Order: sequence, then C-alpha cells, then structure tokens
Amino acid sequence: MKKFTLQEALCLAFCACFIVITRAVFRLHLNIPGHAMFFTMFFLILGRGCVPRLGAATLVGLLAGLLCTLLGMGKGGPLILLKFLLPALIVDLAGLFHNGLAGSYVACAIVGALGAASRFLTIIVVEWIIGMEWDLILQHAVISSACGVVFGVLGSLMAPPIVRKLTAHGLIASHPA
Amino acid sequence: MKKWERAEKGGFQGNAFQYCAGNSPIHRLGAGWKIILAVAFSASAIAAREPWMLVGLLAINLAYYLSAHLGVMNLWRDIRFFLIQMAIILVLYLIKYGFAEGLWPGLRTGCQILLLFLPGTVLLRTTQGTQMMRSLKRIMPERLSFLLFTSLRFVPFFARETREIAMAQRLRGAPVGIRYAWNPVYWRDQFQCLMIPLMVRALKTARSAALSAEARGFEEPRRP
Repeated sequence: MKKFTLQEALCLAFCACFIVITRAVFRLHLNIPGHAMFFTMFFLILGRGCVPRLGAATLVGLLAGLLCTLLGMGKGGPLILLKFLLPALIVDLAGLFHNGLAGSYVACAIVGALGAASRFLTIIVVEWIIGMEWDLILQHAVISSACGVVFGVLGSLMAPPIVRKLTAHGLIASHPA
Repeated sequence: MKKWERAEKGGFQGNAFQYCAGNSPIHRLGAGWKIILAVAFSASAIAAREPWMLVGLLAINLAYYLSAHLGVMNLWRDIRFFLIQMAIILVLYLIKYGFAEGLWPGLRTGCQILLLFLPGTVLLRTTQGTQMMRSLKRIMPERLSFLLFTSLRFVPFFARETREIAMAQRLRGAPVGIRYAWNPVYWRDQFQCLMIPLMVRALKTARSAALSAEARGFEEPRRP
C-alpha cells in the first residue's frame, strides 16, 4: 500500500466510500438478493482502472469492509470484511494477468463473475467449519450466490465505458485494451 | 409518544445491524471486551454439537442480546436473514436424508450459523463507530487509519454530491432516479450520467485533500 501516492490512495478510499453509499441507498429501496454485488464489483474494477497498480482493488475492498463494519451495514457482522476482500483480491489477481482489465468488457465480465462467485467461498468456509457435508454446502452456496453472480457481471460491465471516457479525457492514466 | 421521541429513546432502529443508542451494561462495556466476547461465543457455536449445548448457547446469546435493551423487534430485524438461511439448509437436509434423519442435522447446522453471527450483531448494535475506531486505531497502520477516517468523513459529502449530480442530470432530462433504477434498459445511461461527474469530482477532491494533508506535514519524516 505504501507505493500508492496519497492522492491515489485517497481516490481508492473514495471508491470504497461510493460502495458504502450505494449499499446504504439501495438497501432501503431494493430487496433483491445479491444486488449489492453490482456496485461492489463496479467500484472495485473502477478503482483498479483509476489506479492501475497491484493492490488497488484490495485497498478499496479493505476500506469498504472496514467502513461497512463501522457503520453496521450488511449481514454477518464483522465477517463482512471477507465479502469485500475476496472479490477485491480476485480483481487484483486478474489485473496481474491483464493490464488493461478495466477497459475490456470480456475481462470485466469474467472478473465480475469470479469476484461475485467468491461469495461461495465465504459460505463454504463458514459451513465447512460448522461441519456440514460438501454436497449440501455446495448446493447452499449456489442457491445463495446465483443472483450475486448475475449482478456482479452486470456491475462489472458498467465499468469499461466509464474508464474509457475518463481515460479519453485524460483524467486517469491510459490502459492498453 | 411522538415519533421523534421514540427515535430519541431507541436510537436509529430502521435497519438491521445498525447502532442503537442506549445505556445498558453491554453499551458501557469496552469495544475490546465485546470483540473478545463475540469471538468466544462464535467459537462456542462452532464447537456445540449436542442439543443441550445449542439450547444453552442460544439462551446465553439471547440473554446477551436482550440485556443490551435492544428489544424483540431489533432481534427480529437482525435474525430474519439467518432464519431464511436456516430454512434453506433444513430443506436441503430433508431432501437428502428424509424427514427422520435430516431434521436434527438441518436444525443443528442452521442454529449453529445463527449463533455464529448473533454475537457480532450485538457488537455492531451496541458499539458506536467512534468507539470502534478508537480500538482500531491502536492496531492499524497510520496511513490506513488516515484513509479510513477520511473516507468515513467523506461519506456524507459524496452522498450530497451524488444527490446534487442526480438532480442536475434529471433537470437536463436524463433517466436518473429510483423509478428508472428498476429497469435495466436505463442502467447504462444512469451510470454514464452519474458516475462520470462523480468520478471527476472524486479525483479532484482526492488531489486537493492529498495536497492539504501533505501541506499539514502528513507522512513527513520526523526529525531527530
């Protein structure tokens, strides 16, 4: 994290801020399971697009998780950190392999699906600790996360046009597509 | 009793897991102690396998929750999601093992998941953000805590900015608003209208906030 300039780090902090705001706004109006993944994936990829460095999405995820914990948002109490950190790690990991991730629709859709599916992992970890059987854990994870994956893909597909426009206006560094 | 008086007395009770003002012994307990208690109760939920253990633990958790004077309505708001999860798990067990063999393991697992998360909700319900921040400050690196508190400080600012941008775009005839949020056809337009000005604002604010912090000597190497 130290390698980010203060300006870059603050920009990422604001992306985390936006995740919290959209979460707060939409929990009051929409009651669709998994819809929070839409904005989570969007801002994680946008954060990575604005600051194309390793760890950018992770910092957004960490800060969003901490903010949500402090503001008492989301199901699962302090374990909400995992819900942001895992997709963020996936975005950063994908960024390692594809430098222009945030500007590419295909890459964003794949990362969005994988990132949203990482919610599987949180469910799997909790239920495995409790001692549930594998096939039941997997069935439950699929039922609970299917909507999240759809929203995650849709949210991540919204990022490339924004990143491209910001790049075109010279507001953020250009990315190879 | 008037609405505002009720709100004053009970704190903000609209959403699940949100802080509720109060003066109960749990509210007065330090954040560190509450974290230790939450971890201990959650660990006990993982270890509990026998019915008497689960019933005992459920009673302890309920007593812990209600001794914070949070009330039954807040309890319902906090656990309703877990009750749905419990029902899904129970149905999966019943499908796989049948009624006789699947009922107990299904109920046990659902109960364990509820008991794993319930102590965390008491922590969130009874601990103010500032109190938690003080505890976090002791263990977090200086830069991360600066970023966290700055972003926390900017939450209302950006919420206001978003509203203003949305209003300006609506005046220009853009399909922005909750009415349009339901229809995926408008999502792309909404994003273009809201996110680009918002990100421009965020980039500008980040630049000025960074300059301001650096001018105040933030992260300057200390002289011996």
